[in-house]
Amino acid sequence: MIRKKILLLGDFSVGKTSLVRRYVDGAFDDKYLTTIGVKISKKLFNIEGLESEMLIWDIEGSTPSKKISLGYYKGASGAIFVADISRRETVENIEKHKEIFLNENPNAKFVIAYNKSDKLSEIAQENIVLGDDIFLTSAKDDSNVEELFIKLMKEIVA
Amino acid sequence: MKNIQIILNAVLSKNIFEYILIDKDFKVVSTSDGIAMFLGTIPKEKEDVLEYLPELVGSEQEIQDIFKDRSLTYILETVYKNDYYINITIEHYDTNIALVLMHNISDITLSKQKLLQYSNESVLINTTLQKILDRQNALLFVTNNEEISFANQQFLEYFGVMRVEDLRRKNLRIYKHLDASLKSYDALFEQVNSKEEYVIINDDTFILQATMIESTHKLFTLTKVTNLSHEVYIDTLTGAYRKTYFNKQLEEMIKNKKEGVVVVIDIDDFKNVNDTYGHLIGDDVLKEFATLIKNNIRGNDVFARWGGEEFLLLLQGTTHDYAMLKIEEIRKVVNNYLFTTIGHMTSSFGVAWKEESDDVHSLLQRADKALYEAKTSGKNKVVFKKLEKVDK
Repeated sequence: MIRKKILLLGDFSVGKTSLVRRYVDGAFDDKYLTTIGVKISKKLFNIEGLESEMLIWDIEGSTPSKKISLGYYKGASGAIFVADISRRETVENIEKHKEIFLNENPNAKFVIAYNKSDKLSEIAQENIVLGDDIFLTSAKDDSNVEELFIKLMKEIVA
Repeated sequence: MKNIQIILNAVLSKNIFEYILIDKDFKVVSTSDGIAMFLGTIPKEKEDVLEYLPELVGSEQEIQDIFKDRSLTYILETVYKNDYYINITIEHYDTNIALVLMHNISDITLSKQKLLQYSNESVLINTTLQKILDRQNALLFVTNNEEISFANQQFLEYFGVMRVEDLRRKNLRIYKHLDASLKSYDALFEQVNSKEEYVIINDDTFILQATMIESTHKLFTLTKVTNLSHEVYIDTLTGAYRKTYFNKQLEEMIKNKKEGVVVVIDIDDFKNVNDTYGHLIGDDVLKEFATLIKNNIRGNDVFARWGGEEFLLLLQGTTHDYAMLKIEEIRKVVNNYLFTTIGHMTSSFGVAWKEESDDVHSLLQRADKALYEAKTSGKNKVVFKKLEKVDK
């Protein structure tokens, strides 16, 4: 079976763990419990008859005083960069996370999640510029979460 | 020898270390008895270790190298597994076997997590408070030692700087804008404390307020009113100023001991317009009348609607004779104008010249009395009312 390591990267409290929980367990809890270290979840995947296992690395978020250990980045096939759409600085920091990740894994694929879209009005959501690899997600409302993971996995196995 | 010691430790220190021995194909060779604590089950011999430790996926080459080189080690720290936090270390055992050692670090990690949780929540609260502060009016905190300790985004943007340090470098002294004789923020606080002062900075008008924050800091709040005045002080129907604005200007004139004339204007028989043509036409007449007056006064004259069909005019920096000529001219303009729908209308004017003893009330009262005389003595005229001298 093909196994692919993908990372969830972003600032602290942007909802990385919630995205994984929503996607893997179909659950959501809005209580904030900071992640420390890494927790790996598995998800089986079937794209065009090819069975794969996605190993989702939910890594602790970077904080102003603590950066993510580079040891976690090794051998990743892809990454989901997550930002909290209601916290501008977390969106701006995505570029930094991308740079570090792609420096370690130049050929890896990635997608971007502007998470917590449930905090925005419909008009505000419409005004956000998205692209093929950028998704407006909400783990709380289960919006675009599956699409996000599928898009990345398709990119990786293509 | 070193590895044997580690294994011994693993065996002896239950719940601290557990291990798996693997071969070059990543198949399980053997495990310690307590490994189920971290993996949930005990892997069987020859099973794929990656099934149990997917954490190693992506690092296969790095692990392969350990079989060849005993100096190499693979370390993955703080992995959450089966409700435990562990460090995973892989070391050379011999050319065919590698030791996967799992070190239980749950106790120390949970302590760290509590600290991190507290720290992250604090950062979130601080960020939120900062955002709230930045959305307020311009705020400046000054210490008792006259040092600027904080300024919010609004304040920094207004003064064109990025950081509080830049404000300090500029030696910003906003108290000089209020009163050039003031020498400190302390003095400014004494002057402004518990009231509002208008202050002009860079052509913008602000309301300045001061508040003591604890005993160590003073908060100065600047609320920009320049743009606001147009929304708050303008009568929406006629486009004339509202009386509140007129009063402010009149107060300023009296306070600054300037010369000036107050005129109360009334459209004659306006009630008949409403009764005959309805209120919509009445509104049109008010609009046309206001436009007519505005087109015949100077830019710095203040024209306001008092209410109904009554208006106010403040002419400053003028002589008495010029003012009377001007008002008579306006009366004639109205008299000669044909209003849409209703045609000819007239208006009456009550005039009062500002005397030294006047306040806003007395001046308006005298102008209003003059208007009453104009109305009761035939309308369509200008009446000037002198200050009545009281014999002592």
